[in-house]
Amino acid sequence: MMAANSILESFLAAQGYALFEYTGNGVFHPIGGYPKWCQNLWKGALARDKSIRLGEASPLLENFLIDAEGFWNSNREGSANSPVWIERDPSGRDVQLEATALHVDGKNVLLIRNLASTYAERQKLYQAARDSLLEHERLLREIQKKEILLHCIIHDLSQPLTAMRGCFNLMSLQNLSADLRRMVETGERESNRQEQMIRGILQAFSADLAGQQTATETAPSAADIGAAAQRAVQEFSPAFAEKQIKLQIDPAVDVSRDWIVAGDDSRLGRVFGNLLENALRYSPPNTTVTIGLEEKGKQVLAFVDDQGPGLPKDQSPDQMFALFAKGKDKPGKAGLGLYFCKITVERWGGTIEAETRTKGGTRFWFRLPRAAKTSRDDLNKKTQRGQDALPAPQKASKAVTRPRLDKPARSLRVLVAEDTDENRELVSELLKKRGHSVVAVSDGRQALDELEKNQYDVVLMDEQMPRMDGLDATRAIRQKEKSTGKHQLVVALTGNVTEEDKQQRVEAGMDGFVPKPFEMHALFDTLEFLAAGTQVIPASPMPPPPLAAKQRSPEQATQAQSPVPIEDVGAHLLRTTGGNEKLVKSLTKSFLADAPKRLAAIRAALAAKNAAKLDTAAHALKGSVAIFGAQTAVAAAKNLEAMGRSHNLSGADVQFRLLEAAMQQLQIELNKIAPQSKTKMVTRTKAKPPNSGKRRKK
Amino acid sequence: MLEKKICMLGTLAVGKTSLVRRFIEGIYSEDYQTSIGVKVDKKSVREAGQEVKLVLWDIFGEDRFQKVQASYWRGMFGYLLVVDGTRRNTLDEALALNQRVTDTGLKVPAILLVNKADLADQWEIGDDRLAQLTQSGWEIMRTSAKTGENVDAAFSRLTSKMLGK
Repeated sequence: MMAANSILESFLAAQGYALFEYTGNGVFHPIGGYPKWCQNLWKGALARDKSIRLGEASPLLENFLIDAEGFWNSNREGSANSPVWIERDPSGRDVQLEATALHVDGKNVLLIRNLASTYAERQKLYQAARDSLLEHERLLREIQKKEILLHCIIHDLSQPLTAMRGCFNLMSLQNLSADLRRMVETGERESNRQEQMIRGILQAFSADLAGQQTATETAPSAADIGAAAQRAVQEFSPAFAEKQIKLQIDPAVDVSRDWIVAGDDSRLGRVFGNLLENALRYSPPNTTVTIGLEEKGKQVLAFVDDQGPGLPKDQSPDQMFALFAKGKDKPGKAGLGLYFCKITVERWGGTIEAETRTKGGTRFWFRLPRAAKTSRDDLNKKTQRGQDALPAPQKASKAVTRPRLDKPARSLRVLVAEDTDENRELVSELLKKRGHSVVAVSDGRQALDELEKNQYDVVLMDEQMPRMDGLDATRAIRQKEKSTGKHQLVVALTGNVTEEDKQQRVEAGMDGFVPKPFEMHALFDTLEFLAAGTQVIPASPMPPPPLAAKQRSPEQATQAQSPVPIEDVGAHLLRTTGGNEKLVKSLTKSFLADAPKRLAAIRAALAAKNAAKLDTAAHALKGSVAIFGAQTAVAAAKNLEAMGRSHNLSGADVQFRLLEAAMQQLQIELNKIAPQSKTKMVTRTKAKPPNSGKRRKK
Repeated sequence: MLEKKICMLGTLAVGKTSLVRRFIEGIYSEDYQTSIGVKVDKKSVREAGQEVKLVLWDIFGEDRFQKVQASYWRGMFGYLLVVDGTRRNTLDEALALNQRVTDTGLKVPAILLVNKADLADQWEIGDDRLAQLTQSGWEIMRTSAKTGENVDAAFSRLTSKMLGK
């Protein structure tokens, strides 16, 4: 028996274990002697009788022995384990240890193991797992930054529309000749369409990036893919012709037959559009791009064939359809087009792929399931009812001929809270023309002050404002109402239109919202409808704006978004305000008065490295310069806003200098329109960085 | 000589071990070596005319493999809650860990160290957030184990707080 014990002890010692029997009062006796590592580490604590007070030898054991004693005194089965801990031996080397308290044959036993033989392997394993975790975190942060940037871009694209539509609305109230009315009608229709596209993109991406799907996306409606292909060919033919590329529908396809699939016309059009833009980018002159359709059982296969170089060999189709993927040779805009196609088609239960054709060139194809029990006739009836895919001229004609100067059932007292001067002026002007009385303020705090003094039927509240935003102001209003029992009608005026944004508004206590850029009748209808008390809290009282089926060519779209040369700013303003010189002067004066303060706020935020303030200040300036078409200033302000929002200020000084230069140029032009006093809008810092905190007058 | 146990708390890869190494040995390594378990180091310092032996418990960052037990901070006199300024989530996780400490009823001095000050231009934790934390009672120091910025000062300040100075 003794021999067996001895063998066991030797074995344990060889494995790096030290065994102790606990005799109480912090004293331990070794079982089978001390292994070398143990003597080396704690020899100073060994007593003459070879007992040891382990608690005094090691701070971690001192701590663990409290738990171990608890275990030994409990008569529990099993064991109590310490964490792994590391001690340094007299030679400076790390020793990794682990302790276990046990009951053995009625004795309280402590087993300490030297992990030297396994620690390196364990460390390697943990290191790999944690490196992966950190990499995953890093990628998530990258995605979030890009998502924020994407939202900023989309938000910015929609901002100028507010002013554009406001101008169109104001112009439509004038006595216009037939020709001018047609032009206004076109402007309204196209701004509606652009808004719908922006909103669609925002919703599609926000839903996808957040891993959410809205009810409409999980249950697609029906669309005529044959008609969508025809429309795409019509719209893109000029662009293809310019590059001497033929665009056609496969002559073998009978587009007049029933090609109804799951999906919706608008997004299906964009899927074709994105695939055609891609084909246009890679096709050489004197080649042909063909759209084809094939019946594949319960699915329809659609393809776009080109005669270009084929797929790049170093990029798989999966990579091409990935978010922010861009081709190496002829990259597109943002790496979003094919990604949009993929998420859209997959949401409708379809698949999308790309391959190099055996005859040369590339085929992008997608399959969509046929829509259940829907024929082309059903679809036509449905779209006529929903006015969702009416040809643009018919619909626009209805929109323009409706009575625009009808007085409301009653005149409302409206409090407008909007920080962008130009938007505030436009909204106020429209509401006054309609017959309502308006008081306008520029932030949530002022709105609360005004509500203290006067009563209003409705508050039209911008969401993003300095000092106090619209959501906080609404919360404050609702909080106060707990004691008064009244209900102030609050309607948001906002560019934030995702489901999450809507939920935030409902939680803050808002009664409804008017999405920016707003349409005049949507604004009137929402306010008057809610003020009439027909519905207390509609999720979104505004019906979706009409969607024009006809889309512009990429060239036209580019032209529409092209920057306004700075020397043309006067002409630009006159155009966008329908020649309303009074409004131009008023907008210009207000801008010239406010811009220096806004620029100074950005400068101060940069000097203080205060990202949140930079976000707010840049947002405010961006909103006001956009109306003047000063694209360089808009872009610089937008970049600063994005930097502030993502808390990454690297390169902000460069953007600020760009912004200063653009603002100075803008001031020169605007002074010609509305001469100001000698106040300078910009005081250049020249060589000094914006955070130097000093301003030098030029 | 007075002996005071200090715990280094915080999530993965925020630089707890690097801060201790910088403080004890005055060195820094770019290589990230993940910590397994608890490492105990000692260093004597002189604070407010008193000699104090600091027993530093560098406690691993919690993850799915290792869970931090409340017993680790038993007997501590103060702690440094470390976050990585370039990773916003490390602040949330650190505050959650701090809640677990305070839930045990322990009320000892603590300082929030926002580490990686050498990468300040990449920080995701903004001044406004830190200002909020300061207002809620946190003492905050920006540190860099890489450059040594504020490292000794942080331990010195915590020692001073533990001594009631």
